[in-house]
Amino acid sequence: MPPLAVSAITAFVLLNVVIGLVTYVTLLERKFAARMQSRIGPYRVGPHGLLQPIADALKLMMKEDIVPTAADRWVYNLAPVVFLVPCVLIFATLPFAPTLGLADLNIGVLFFLAVSSLEIVGLFMGGWGSNNKYALLSAMRAVNQIISYDLPFVFSALIPVVLVGSLQMSAIVLAQEGLWFVAYPVIGQLGFLAFLIATIAAENRVPFDILEAESELVAGFRVEYSGMKFALIQLGEYAHMIASSFLGALLFLGGWLGPGSDVPLVGALWFLLKAMLVFLLVTWVRWSFVRIRVDQILAVSWKLLLPATLILLFATAFWVALRGGPGA
Amino acid sequence: MPEPKAPGFWSELGQLVRAVGRAMGVTLTNLGRTPVTVHYPEVKRVYPDRFRGILALTYDKETAEENCIGCRLCEFICPPQVIKVEMLKAKERNYAKSFTLELYACEFCELCVQVCPTDAIVMMKSFDLATADRRELLLDKDRLHAIGLDFEPSWATGNRLRDMQAPPKAAKAEAPAGTRGEAKEPAE
Amino acid sequence: MADSEARRVIEMGYGGNERLVMNMGPQHPSAHGVFRAILTLEGETVVAVDAVIGYLHRCHEKLGELLTYVQYPTIASKTDYVAAMTAELAYVSAVEKVAKFEVPKRAQYLRVLAAELQRIASHCLWLGTWCLDMGGALGGGATVFLYCIRERELVLDLFESLTGARLLYGFHQPGGTRYDVPAGWAQKCRETVDLIEQRVDEYEAMLEDNTFFLVRTQGVGVISRELALEVGLSGPLARGSGIDFDLRRAAPYSSYEDFDFKVPVETAGDCYARYRVRMQEFRESIKIVRQVLDGLPEGPISSRPGVKSVGQVRAPKGEAYSRVEGARGEIGFFIVADGGPKAYRMKVRGPSFSNLAVLPHIIPGCKVADVVAIMGSVDPVFGEVDR
Repeated sequence: MPPLAVSAITAFVLLNVVIGLVTYVTLLERKFAARMQSRIGPYRVGPHGLLQPIADALKLMMKEDIVPTAADRWVYNLAPVVFLVPCVLIFATLPFAPTLGLADLNIGVLFFLAVSSLEIVGLFMGGWGSNNKYALLSAMRAVNQIISYDLPFVFSALIPVVLVGSLQMSAIVLAQEGLWFVAYPVIGQLGFLAFLIATIAAENRVPFDILEAESELVAGFRVEYSGMKFALIQLGEYAHMIASSFLGALLFLGGWLGPGSDVPLVGALWFLLKAMLVFLLVTWVRWSFVRIRVDQILAVSWKLLLPATLILLFATAFWVALRGGPGA
Repeated sequence: MPEPKAPGFWSELGQLVRAVGRAMGVTLTNLGRTPVTVHYPEVKRVYPDRFRGILALTYDKETAEENCIGCRLCEFICPPQVIKVEMLKAKERNYAKSFTLELYACEFCELCVQVCPTDAIVMMKSFDLATADRRELLLDKDRLHAIGLDFEPSWATGNRLRDMQAPPKAAKAEAPAGTRGEAKEPAE
Repeated sequence: MADSEARRVIEMGYGGNERLVMNMGPQHPSAHGVFRAILTLEGETVVAVDAVIGYLHRCHEKLGELLTYVQYPTIASKTDYVAAMTAELAYVSAVEKVAKFEVPKRAQYLRVLAAELQRIASHCLWLGTWCLDMGGALGGGATVFLYCIRERELVLDLFESLTGARLLYGFHQPGGTRYDVPAGWAQKCRETVDLIEQRVDEYEAMLEDNTFFLVRTQGVGVISRELALEVGLSGPLARGSGIDFDLRRAAPYSSYEDFDFKVPVETAGDCYARYRVRMQEFRESIKIVRQVLDGLPEGPISSRPGVKSVGQVRAPKGEAYSRVEGARGEIGFFIVADGGPKAYRMKVRGPSFSNLAVLPHIIPGCKVADVVAIMGSVDPVFGEVDR
C-alpha cells in the first residue's frame, strides 16, 4: 500500500482512539473527584456509569445549535474548529511505542510545544465572536494567562531535551532506559514539578482557572456555545490536557519503558498508565484548592515560575557541560 | 499578593509546600472514606419517628370508624388556609361531610395535627407524592383516607403533641443510648 | 437611572479609559440568593457598584398582621431560611415580651440548644458556599462545599428527629417550644457534635495556611471599625472589625447567662478576619451545646401548652422589640399589639439587610474576583433582606 494511504489510515485510527480516550477520561475524572468528596460519581447510566460519556456525547449532538444574533458569524462558528485542531494534532507526534506512532519527527518536542499553543487563537476567537461581555472578559484573561505560562512550560519541557541533546521524542524515551529523568537528583524532581504547575496553568485548571471561574464568569469564553460546538470545545480542552499528560509522562517518567515493553502494545499500555498518573495528580490538585485571582496568577508565573525554570535550565545545561556532553 | 522576592522567601515557600501537602492530604483521606450517598429509590434512608410528611385522615383502630368529627379546628388554624371542612351533624357524633386539603400549598407545619382533638389528621413518614399534574394534589376525603392506609404514620398525633407540651405528671426519664429515631412519648 | 446605564454596553470616557457596565445577578451562581449588583468596571477593577434587592419580597410584615401569634412562628423561619431557629426565636421572644409570658427553664435551654446547633449548621453552609464561589463549582471549592454539606446534614438529621422537619421547623411557639427531645437524642447530639469538631479541624487544615486561600482573603474587603459602626453592622461582620459586641453576652436572653463561652473578635476587618471569627464561633457553639446537654433541667416545655385554637394566644396592648444574635447578626422583631390574637404591626429587622449596606463602601477599588469573596464573607441570606 502506498505510504500515504498507510499514514491516512493510521491517522484515522489514532484520531478515533484519542476521542474515545478523551471521553472516558472525563468519566475517570468525575469518579475520582466524587470519591474525594464522599460521593459516588455517575452511577446510573450503564453499570457504574460506564456509558455516561456516551450519553453525554449523544446529548450534545442532539442539542440545538444556537448562534447569538449579534455574534460575528464567521469568527463564532470557526472558533471551536480552530481550537480543536491543534489540540488533536499534537497527538500525531507522540510515540506510543517504538513502532506505534504516527510521525516521530526529529523536532517532535518543538512541534508539540508550538502547535499546542495555537489553541489560544481559537480561544480568543470564541470569546470575541460571542459578542458577550463575560466571554470577552474571560478570553482576555485567558490570553494573558496562557501566554505567561507557556514560557515556563517550554523551559521545563526543555530540561529533558538538554539532558538528551535531541528534540526527537523516541530518543528522549530511549535515553531514560537506565533511569527516568524524574529520578535525577534535584533537576528531575524540580523540573517535573515545574512542568506540572505550568501544565495546570496552561490548561486553565484550578487553582489557575480564572478563565472559566464558574461562579464569576459562568463558563467563560464557552458561555454562548451549545450543542456540537460546545462538544468540540470540551473535546479540545480535554485532549490538550491528556496530551500534556502524555508529554509529561514521556519527558520525565520514561514513556513506554517498563517491564515487558518490547511488545509494542505493552509499552503503549505503560505509557497510558503513566499519563493517567500525571492526569490524576493534576486532578487531585484541582479538587483540593480554591482559585487565585488573575493578577496573582500572573505574579506567580512571571515572578516565581519563570525565573525558577530558567535557573533549572541553566543548571541542567551546566551539569550536562560538566558531564562532557549530552547522552546517557 | 505574594511577594516572593521579599525576605522570608524560603519560609514562605516552605509554608506553601506544607499547606499544599495538608490540603491534598485531607482530600486523599476522603478518598478512603465510604461515600455518604444513599441509593434512592432502591434504598431509602430511615426516617425519624416524628417525620412530617404527607397528611392523611385516620380511622379508629377498634371501631374502624372515621376519627374526624368535622370540628374545623384544623381549618381555622392552618396558616395558608388549605383545609376546607364541612360538618355533617349526626346522632351520637358529628362527621366531616367533605374534607379537602390542597397539598400543593401546604406548609407542613403540623399545626393541624397539633390541634386535632381526636387524632384524626396525622402526617405520614413519606413525602413520595410527586405528580405531573397539580390537580392530583388537591386531596379529597377519600384520597386522604387512602393515604392514611398506604404509608406509615408518624409518631406525632394531636394528643401526643399536646401531652408533650403539657406539664408532666412524673419526672421525664431519658433512655440512654438508644438508636436515633426511636422517639417514644416521654416515659411516665 | 440604573437601567439606562445597564443598557449601554461600553462607554468611552474622555481620558480614553473604557468603562464596562456589567450586571452580576440576579441569576448568578454566586449571588447567594437573588441579588443584582450592577458593577462598573474599568478593566478588571470595580469602580462603582449599584445594588438592587427586592427579588425575594414575600410580604412577611403583612403576613405578621394577618396571621395570629400561634400561626406566624411556622413562617418566621422563612425570613432567615438558612438559620431558621434563631429567626423563630426572635419572633416568639417579641411576642412573649409584649404579652409578658414566662418561659420555663427547660424551654429556654432547649431554645439555646436549637439556636447553637443552628449556628453550627448555618456556618457550615456559609463556609461551603464561600469556598464554592471562590474555588469554582468544578474544583477545590466544590470539595469543601460537599464536606460542609455532609456535616450540615448531620445537624439537620438531629433537627429532623427533634421536630420532624429539616429546614423550616416551627419549633418555637409563644410560651416555650412545641417539641421535646426524644429518647436517645442527647447521646446522638453529643456524638454529632464531637464529629463536627473533628471535621472543623479538617477544614482548617485545608484552608488555614493555604497560600491560595490567604491571598484571596487577606487584605480583601477591609471594613474599618468606624465604617462598621457608622453603617450599623452586626454579627460576625462587626466582630471581624474589632467591635466586641455579642447580644448573647451584652443583653442575654433565654438563659444565655448560664453558659460560659467566649466571643471571638478580630481586628483586621478583612475577609480572613471574618473567616476566623466564624471558625471560632463553630467551636464556641459546640461548647455551649455540650453545656446545655449537661445541664438540661426537667420541667415543662411551654407555659402556654396545648394550643387548640387559632386565637388562643392574645397579647395586651403594647409594643416590644426583641433582639437575638443570629448567625448573621442581630435579628430583631418589633411587635405592636392591640389586645387581639394578631399583631397590629410587625417589623422585622433583618441583619443581612443592614450588612449589605456596607457593600458600596468596600467594593469600589477591588477586582471582580474580590467581589465574590466579599459577598461570601458578608454572608447575606435574601429571605431576611427582602422579607
